Amino acid sequence: MKNLLEFLGRHYHWLIFIFLEAVSLTLLFSYNSYHNSVWFSSANAVAGRFYQWVSAVESYFSLTKVNEDLMLRNYYLERQVTQLRRLYGEATQEIDSKEQQGLDSLSRYQLITAKVVSNELGKMDNMMTIDKGSADGVDVGMGVACGRGVVGVTYLVSDHYSVVIPVLNTHASRISCAIRGYGYFGVLRWYGEDAAYAYVEDIPRHARFKRGDWVETNGYSSIFPPGVMVGQIVEVYNARDGLSYKLKVRLSTDFGNVRDVVVITDRSIAARMRLMQAARDSLKLNVRE
Amino acid sequence: MSADLLKRLGWFALFFLAQVIVLGRIHLFHYATPLFYVYFVAMFPRNYEKWAVLLWSFSLGLFIDIFSNTPGLAAASLTVIGAIQPYYLELYVPRDSADNLQPALKTLGPLKYTYYIVPLVLLYCVLFYSLEMLTFFNAFYWLMCVLGSSFLTVVLIFTFEIGKKK
Repeated sequence: MKNLLEFLGRHYHWLIFIFLEAVSLTLLFSYNSYHNSVWFSSANAVAGRFYQWVSAVESYFSLTKVNEDLMLRNYYLERQVTQLRRLYGEATQEIDSKEQQGLDSLSRYQLITAKVVSNELGKMDNMMTIDKGSADGVDVGMGVACGRGVVGVTYLVSDHYSVVIPVLNTHASRISCAIRGYGYFGVLRWYGEDAAYAYVEDIPRHARFKRGDWVETNGYSSIFPPGVMVGQIVEVYNARDGLSYKLKVRLSTDFGNVRDVVVITDRSIAARMRLMQAARDSLKLNVRE
Repeated sequence: MSADLLKRLGWFALFFLAQVIVLGRIHLFHYATPLFYVYFVAMFPRNYEKWAVLLWSFSLGLFIDIFSNTPGLAAASLTVIGAIQPYYLELYVPRDSADNLQPALKTLGPLKYTYYIVPLVLLYCVLFYSLEMLTFFNAFYWLMCVLGSSFLTVVLIFTFEIGKKK
C-alpha cells in the first residue's frame, strides 16, 4: 500500500494525463450525438458572440466590392429612369417638368403667351415669327423666352404678328447675361454654325467659375428679368484681345423645337429702360454743353 | 511563478486567436492546415512541472476545439504531446545546460532544434488526423493532410523562431 502511494506520488502526472485523455476522447466520441455537445461547440453563446465579432470585422473587407456593385447598379437605374422619362414625355406630349419650372419662374412678370409660326436655323441671321402683335400688347424690344430659356428679342411688330431676333442671329442679338451664383456678366453672341452652342464674351479675367456652371440673364438689360436660363458652360477660351474670357455655352433652349414662347411685357422693365435712356440723354446733353 | 503564468497566458491567447481567426481557415489544396499551436507546447522549458504542461496543453486544445467544432480532437492530441514533451526534450538538451533551458533555435542550435521540432509536429499531425478520420479512413488523404500540415506548421515555427532571434 505504501509502495503504491509512493508510486502514485511520483507518477501522478500520468494519472492526470489519463484523465485528460479520457475527457478528450469522451468529448470526441460523444460529439456524434450533437445535442449533448452544444456547450462544447461554436453553438454556445460565447463562441457565437465571438464569431459575430469576427464576421462583423470581416464584412468590412468586402465593402469596396459591395460599393462598386451598388454604384454600377445605381448608374444603370438612373439611366433607365431618364430613358423612361423621355419615353413618357414623348408618349404623353406633355411639356416636361423642367420646362414648366422655367415658366413658373417667369410668371411673376407680365407675360403674353405666343406660338411660333415660323422659325429658321440654318442661316447666319435667323428670324422667328410669333403670332402675337401690338394688338396683344407686344412692343418692339421685348424679351421672348420659353420654358427652357431665352429665345430672343422682338424686332418688328405688326397688329397680330411679331418678328423676333433669336439668339441665333449673328448681327442683331446681344443679350446681357451672367454666370449663375457668381454674377460676372457678359454678352451672349452667336457666330453661326451649330444652333446648340453660343458664346458669352467680355467675362472679366478675374472671374472665378468652372465648366458646367450655368449662365442666365442678369437683369441689367431692359429686356429680360434676371434669372432666365441661357445655358451651360462647356468650354472656356481667352478672348482675342486677351483681356477677357470667351465662354462656349450649350444653349438650354432647343431652337429646333421651340413652339410655345412668352413675351415679357413687364412695365417695370420698360420703366427702368426709359429711366436709363433719360440718364444717357442728359449725360450727352451735359457733355455737349 | 506569476510572471511565468502571465507570459503563458499571453502566449495562450495569441496561439488561440491566431488559430481560430486566421490559421484554422487555411486549407491549402484542401489538405494543409497550419497547426501552429503545437509550438505553444514545444516552448515549455526543461524541468517545467509535468502536470502544468498537461493542463496547459489540454486547455489550449479544448479552447481551439470549442471554437472550431471539433470537441476533444485537438485536446486529446495536444495532451499526448504535452505528456511526452518533457521526456522528449531531455533527449536533445546537453547534459551541462541550465535547468530551465527553453528549447529554441538559439539555445539548441539549428540542427538539434530541427530534430526536436519536426518529429514533434509530425507526431501531432499524425495523432490529429488519425483521430479526425477514425470514421472514414482514406490513406492517401490522411497522408497528404499529415505531410501538408506538418510542413506548413514547421515553416511557420521556423519563421517565428528566426523572427524572434533578431
